[in-house]
Amino acid sequence: MDLVLQLIVNGIINGSHYALLGLGFGVIFGPTRITHFAFGPLYALAAYAVWTAAVPLGLPLPAAAAIGIAAGALFGVTTYRLLYRPFERRQSPSLVVLIASLGLFIVLENAIGIAFGSDTKVIPNFNADVILLGPVVFTSVQAAQVLALITVGSLLALFLKRSDYGKAVMAMTDNPEMARIIGIDTVKVATLAFALGSAIAAVPAMLILLKEGATPYMGFNAVFMGFVAVIIGGIGSLSGAVIGGLTLGLVENLGTWQIPTEWQSTIAFIVLFIVLLFKPRGLFARGAR
Amino acid sequence: MDYLLHILVMVSLYAILAVSFNLLIGFAGLFALSQAAFFGVGAYTTAILATKLGLAFPVPLLAGVFLTAALGMIVALPALRIGGDHLVIITLALQIIVIAVMVNWRSVTGGTDGIAGIPKIHLGGAPLDTPARFLPLALAVAMLSLAIAWRLAASPFARAVRAMRENEAAVQAVGKNIVAIKLAVFAFSAGLAAVAGGLYAQYISYVSAETFTLDLTIYILAMVILGGTGNLWGSVLGAVILTALPELLKFVALPPDIADKSRQVLYGLALIAILLLRPQGLLGEIRAPRRRIARAPAAGAALESDLPADGRVTVEGKGLMRRFGGIVAVSGLDIELRRGRIIGLIGPNGAGKTTAFNLLTGFLRPDQGTVSLNGVDLTGTKPHRIVRSGMARSFQDLKLFPRMTVLDNVMVALPRQKGDNLFYVFFAPWIVAREERANRGRALAILDFVGLGERAGDTAENLSYAEEKLLVIARLVATEAQVLLFDEPLSGLAPNTLEAIFPIIRRLAAAGRTICIIEHNLDVIRGLCDTAVFLDEGRKLAEDAPERLIADPALAARYFG
Amino acid sequence: MKKAIAAILALVLLAAGAARAAEPPKDPKSFPIGALLAMTGQASFYGQVMSQGMKQAVDEINAKGGIDGIPLEAVIEDHKGGGGQDGVAAMNRLISIHHVQAVLTSFSAPTIAVAPIADQQHILMVNGGAVSPQLVGLSKYLFHNRSLSTDLSRIAIAYAAELGGKKLAQLQWQNDVGDNIVKIADPLWKKDGGTVVATEAVAQGATHMDPQVAKLRAANPDIIALWTFNPETGLALKRIRDFGMKQPVIGVDFTENDAKIAGAAANGFHFANDYFAPSDSEPWSKQFATDYKKRYGTDPDFYAANYYEGVYVIAECIKRARAKGGDYWNGEALREALLSNPKFNSVYGGQMVFQPNGVALKRTALFTVEDGKRKFVKFLEAKE
Repeated sequence: MDLVLQLIVNGIINGSHYALLGLGFGVIFGPTRITHFAFGPLYALAAYAVWTAAVPLGLPLPAAAAIGIAAGALFGVTTYRLLYRPFERRQSPSLVVLIASLGLFIVLENAIGIAFGSDTKVIPNFNADVILLGPVVFTSVQAAQVLALITVGSLLALFLKRSDYGKAVMAMTDNPEMARIIGIDTVKVATLAFALGSAIAAVPAMLILLKEGATPYMGFNAVFMGFVAVIIGGIGSLSGAVIGGLTLGLVENLGTWQIPTEWQSTIAFIVLFIVLLFKPRGLFARGAR
Repeated sequence: MDYLLHILVMVSLYAILAVSFNLLIGFAGLFALSQAAFFGVGAYTTAILATKLGLAFPVPLLAGVFLTAALGMIVALPALRIGGDHLVIITLALQIIVIAVMVNWRSVTGGTDGIAGIPKIHLGGAPLDTPARFLPLALAVAMLSLAIAWRLAASPFARAVRAMRENEAAVQAVGKNIVAIKLAVFAFSAGLAAVAGGLYAQYISYVSAETFTLDLTIYILAMVILGGTGNLWGSVLGAVILTALPELLKFVALPPDIADKSRQVLYGLALIAILLLRPQGLLGEIRAPRRRIARAPAAGAALESDLPADGRVTVEGKGLMRRFGGIVAVSGLDIELRRGRIIGLIGPNGAGKTTAFNLLTGFLRPDQGTVSLNGVDLTGTKPHRIVRSGMARSFQDLKLFPRMTVLDNVMVALPRQKGDNLFYVFFAPWIVAREERANRGRALAILDFVGLGERAGDTAENLSYAEEKLLVIARLVATEAQVLLFDEPLSGLAPNTLEAIFPIIRRLAAAGRTICIIEHNLDVIRGLCDTAVFLDEGRKLAEDAPERLIADPALAARYFG
Repeated sequence: MKKAIAAILALVLLAAGAARAAEPPKDPKSFPIGALLAMTGQASFYGQVMSQGMKQAVDEINAKGGIDGIPLEAVIEDHKGGGGQDGVAAMNRLISIHHVQAVLTSFSAPTIAVAPIADQQHILMVNGGAVSPQLVGLSKYLFHNRSLSTDLSRIAIAYAAELGGKKLAQLQWQNDVGDNIVKIADPLWKKDGGTVVATEAVAQGATHMDPQVAKLRAANPDIIALWTFNPETGLALKRIRDFGMKQPVIGVDFTENDAKIAGAAANGFHFANDYFAPSDSEPWSKQFATDYKKRYGTDPDFYAANYYEGVYVIAECIKRARAKGGDYWNGEALREALLSNPKFNSVYGGQMVFQPNGVALKRTALFTVEDGKRKFVKFLEAKE
């Protein structure tokens, strides 16, 4: 029973991480429909930005965090304007944009490796507190991951529902054609989406930096899980992405309860498979295809 | 030199893989992410059979092909049944699960150790144990695979696939079973990937799960996209470029500690650059050139058989009911269609007319009620089966296959084509060829019948509006269904065009076809229909001769008010 | 008559033999030495440190004039740490384009894939990093200058036995290396009445191991064994302490990278390793470590040491073969040179001996981590 509780708690913690990734990826994918593979290394880049601010430059963590988020947003916007816009202007099919994104993925991953080396970057002398709550144990960083999801999720929801730009993002997600027709500047909104999604991704990135350190290749897992969370939750639904991420985390952890951990990665996918058999468009899909 | 020869061997294998993936993605429009898994299953099967059972080439390879094709179909079936674009995730799940099985099923796959020491292929007594000796086989198999894929892409089956990509609803409406088509392509693609796998296993002589991961699927995807989806030569070109490029970059001298990473950076940049310059891929989709179709004699009549136009009831819809959420679209609908008679279905917008058509032809399942054709209950049957049973419909929004020729639009609708069956395509091509010639003649005859004979070689999207409407009729006639349901076939046409088309429909009725038309134009109803049925709010309100119906003030109020 | 002919024949043969022995060596312009390393991809940390060790050795030897005046050349190819085909392409490139006769190799899958090529083309291969027992005896040209992980695990278990406690929990790498260690360690522990309360597997490259560690914790072991390598070792140590587990942890690997990741959590970790401990009593290892730090800014771990050493082994073989003269610059001659005297100086100190199975016998020892640094504890006999 203790084990199950621990696994559930871990599931929520990891699920929060995946949910944040899903939010970041989903905020970009929803309105733009771009399969932004390069989301992975951009996430890594944000982690490295925080590290660079905190270690070689010696800034205090909160400042480093702010720099990381700003850097993330900047990188995201640059990627959109320099890489994806030319393809958008040529009205390229989405598969072509996907492969172009793959190209950027390869470039960035290896560029990070060249610039920073392949060893793991950590914040030295950072020790997370270990918190015991009955039979369950977790660290302050892990608690921060859950808190981050709640904070970021709430702020995002507020922004999307209340602000004009937020509503424009939702409109584009629902129906890009219609959005254009009613006069929404889709390029501006897409730029915003990229800034927002990349800034969101910087949050789990820096928490992972604190938890395990940063490596140049940490991005692949991130984009993969973000993508899967969005698909489970249904494209266009951000609450779906959150549910999708949490589901992934819970299944990943609880799934190993009675089953040998060799099957860890596959349990999640078998469950996914079953979910999609019954709910082909994800749990809460919205928007025109 | 061995290095160059080895690269050529790998190019051959990747070319086979890229072609196999293109068949799935470019040709059939099925975006799946499991190609590396198929490659791996083929490789492992060959490895196990060659190593543990000592079977000689090509037995292990062929076994791998069949096993992998079967696996592809088993996995695709649930995904395709439900339809939709989550095929991606399901095949992604397959990719990951296959790797896990390779790694964990130790007794069979060697687990994480992989299978080493796979015997080399022996041809003519000599082992193919160097790149130089293996290359001829690799090239030969690659060319054979390309030829087979080419044959597939040029067959009548391919025509059905192309139509499916243009419009899935329409291709079902001409009697094609899209699930069966997709499964066939899946099996083919998976099997072809397994061919590459079988060769790989007996070339490198070592297989382990690390080779067959998602990374490889994405790598092959890049080859397909780069070369141009829908162009098989493009896939070969993509394989050549993406295999050669990293090797060529190695000749660029760079400081050793960042050399390989830098080369990857250059590789990624090159990929982006090529796509920016040629976003459709290096080679474009092969399009049927606009050609003047030789005026072959109209072989056979436009109408296969004449049935007695005796007014016998052919189609019976009884008590049909269908709701969407809280809205009842059709309720308590009884409708009878008769041989040789033209029945008009009229009513205000939203009355449920198209829904009625959908219910009769299987595009929607009735919540209550039955549909029968010539006494056979067809309720709940899939649309393509209903077409084959003899009832077909056209669409209000035409749903032509715009990028196919007029002739192909008609030919794809002809029933009972052996060319739709891959077995005949590959093992009895002469039968398929003969049938194609006959079908061409028939299709031209049908086009002549509706007056489109001169436009047979043009692409459908280049037709005028009126010509498009004629093509819709031609396509429907081609299905050889005895019950033809036309959904607004004449809307938007000028009066003199209408007058020109009337005889076509009357001729169909005279030949014993059962005809039902949805129309808003009362002149059409008056001029063409024997009986008219008035629908409103999903219910049949009246059925009578058109003049009497139109004269009824209450109905007029509903219709216009 | 017959005797005369025989005598003349004998003389001719003798003269020929003598002439061969006295033949001047056929010298190439340089000695290119290949390396198959993970220079990109998830495991590129290994490639980074291995290539650093290799280049340091090459530069050192060339600074001293090369081998009899002929310089060495390091040719590094990337196999991405992946499956077989990248290794095969890289090996073919090394042979066809760079004409290497000796290669430093790493990682099991590429090594297994290229072993047949080494056999066919007669290329000497030295492995300083891969630990799969599958590699032993794979090719007569393949030699290993690192201890097998299975041997290391024996030592770790021996130490665990010393600690007392009956319940062992294992966290293994989810691959052939981890599997083979468990195959040895598991029965070894049980032989003396111990129990294995949990065995969990984590994939190489997976950073997320919470379920595994949670299950280890729930099993309530006395001792935890980490049959993992960089960076999973570092990550596991951190997670284990994060989960509040205070049991002693044993293992078979620990690198600088692991130290960085685990931070304070690594302190107290005991692991068995090739005895690489730069110290004053071992001048060569001290000089290597000092120079390495000067060149690259970090302390070397034993992976760097192994590839540094591997170059010296090959260099020694070249020297020996050249002394015999004739056409000596080929893998066959190098292999013979190695076997003619399997004792080589080791950068670890003292000498190592290549056994008939190709694996060099080095001193292995028990280490612990103190203040984030490895500290030699003692030499320990492997448990049988």
